[in-house]
Amino acid sequence: MKQFLQIALGILSAIGGFVDIGDLVFNTQAGATFGFQLLWVVVVGVIGIIVYSEMCGRVAAISKRPVFDLVRERVGFSAGLGTLIASEIVNLLTCAAEVGGVAIVLQLLSGLPYRYLILLGVIGVVVIAWVLPFEWLERLFGYVGLGLLVFAVAAIKVHPQWGQVAHGFVPGMPAHNHAVYLYFVVGLLGAALTPYEVYFYSSGAVEDGWGAKDLRINKITSVIGYGLGAFLSFALMIVAAVLFLPRGIDPQFLGTPALGAQEALGKVGLILALVGILFAVGGAAIETSFSGAYNVAQFFGWQWGKREKPSGAPRFALSWIIIFVLALGIVMTGYDPVKITEYSVIFSVVALPLTFLPILLVANDPTYMGRYTNGRISNALGIVYFILILVIALSAIPLMVITNGGQG
Amino acid sequence: MSGDELDLGLGILDHQLVDSEGRNCGNADELEIAGIASGEPEVTEILVGGNAWRSRGMFGRLAAALSGDAVHVPWSEVEKVDSVVKLKKTAAELRLGRGDDRARKFVERLPGS
Repeated sequence: MKQFLQIALGILSAIGGFVDIGDLVFNTQAGATFGFQLLWVVVVGVIGIIVYSEMCGRVAAISKRPVFDLVRERVGFSAGLGTLIASEIVNLLTCAAEVGGVAIVLQLLSGLPYRYLILLGVIGVVVIAWVLPFEWLERLFGYVGLGLLVFAVAAIKVHPQWGQVAHGFVPGMPAHNHAVYLYFVVGLLGAALTPYEVYFYSSGAVEDGWGAKDLRINKITSVIGYGLGAFLSFALMIVAAVLFLPRGIDPQFLGTPALGAQEALGKVGLILALVGILFAVGGAAIETSFSGAYNVAQFFGWQWGKREKPSGAPRFALSWIIIFVLALGIVMTGYDPVKITEYSVIFSVVALPLTFLPILLVANDPTYMGRYTNGRISNALGIVYFILILVIALSAIPLMVITNGGQG
Repeated sequence: MSGDELDLGLGILDHQLVDSEGRNCGNADELEIAGIASGEPEVTEILVGGNAWRSRGMFGRLAAALSGDAVHVPWSEVEKVDSVVKLKKTAAELRLGRGDDRARKFVERLPGS
């Protein structure tokens, strides 16, 4: 019973934690630009994050090594440091985007000036992250983030043409606008396969002291939790496709998806959506800042972990606070958080191969994994996705330049 | 690889150092090997941090130029090697983890630390 509860809670927080600002921005814009045509990409992305998070959770449980230990051990100091720098830039940009998202939602809820709310939002999130223990952080943000389920209800209430929706799950290419379409393919994959989720998941598993007995929970949480989380992405895209595409609304503002929930469900829908978004992006802000601290501490071999008191892992604690301070500086420049999100997702795609390759190598290495090395399915999918990641990593920046960030 | 063989490149270099109290205290950034000329090479020291990085590629030279001297840990202080390198003494006794000591002075001033 206790284990059942633990699994259920893990699934709930995985669903609530699945969507962050990258998913909100890219799924909504994709729906408003291409209707249902890009739904299949979400499926491809979610299977990828399931494969790699299951793998890195298993590696963490058996070898007790988190991702950045493996990066360092497998690719050496120099390439490892290059990967670290790239991943820290992406973590920082993503953290800035999430912090900007927190401020925008607070502004929509309160009407106070945006700049004060950036400061207030960062202070609030830092204090919560400092005070609450690890599992409470996961629960608070994961469960309240479930407010996003309002989009699943909205997707049904807007009465999409389900035949057309089903058609969107078949990969295809539109008659024109190829480059913009491909830019969204890369962006949606990048939003689903964010590297910080992998860093955070594996470091959290090591902190929780996972062992072989936790492999079942690892599998269930990653498959069902992320699998159900994907439905939120579908819902965001469907709502945008039905409500925004026909009216030519270009959702360049983070509040736009919440208006979709309002249209379908009234004021309650709007508030649930905003609170869900607030906790989803607030939780993601903490995850990205912790990921940045995990990575640098693991790379240099410092004591790390949220389970330690800050004085027990002082450089780790300082690192995540510094990331928040830098993120605050970026958002305070007044640069549009939606634009920062687009950059962070596209750059994260470029950093993906060097994150995923060491996981794939170590998951196949019996000296780390004993009898828990990858099975045939994990390996086949792992290799297929690694090739896919290489292709999108090489095409991400050219596509962003050619399409002017999806503007065509 | 049998139980008493160890691949220095994959098994020690870049691995986590853990002190006698179970605390992380750096990585094995470089290995000092003596006796290559005599035909009986043996690892004499593990180098940690600072200019130990200078032999570690382009980024390593850059990082070494920006930081101080490496800490030398004699091989005799190694308790055992598995997925981490376990040391016989505390980090403080081996002069490791001093960055954490400096950072702690700052962090301890914050409430709830």
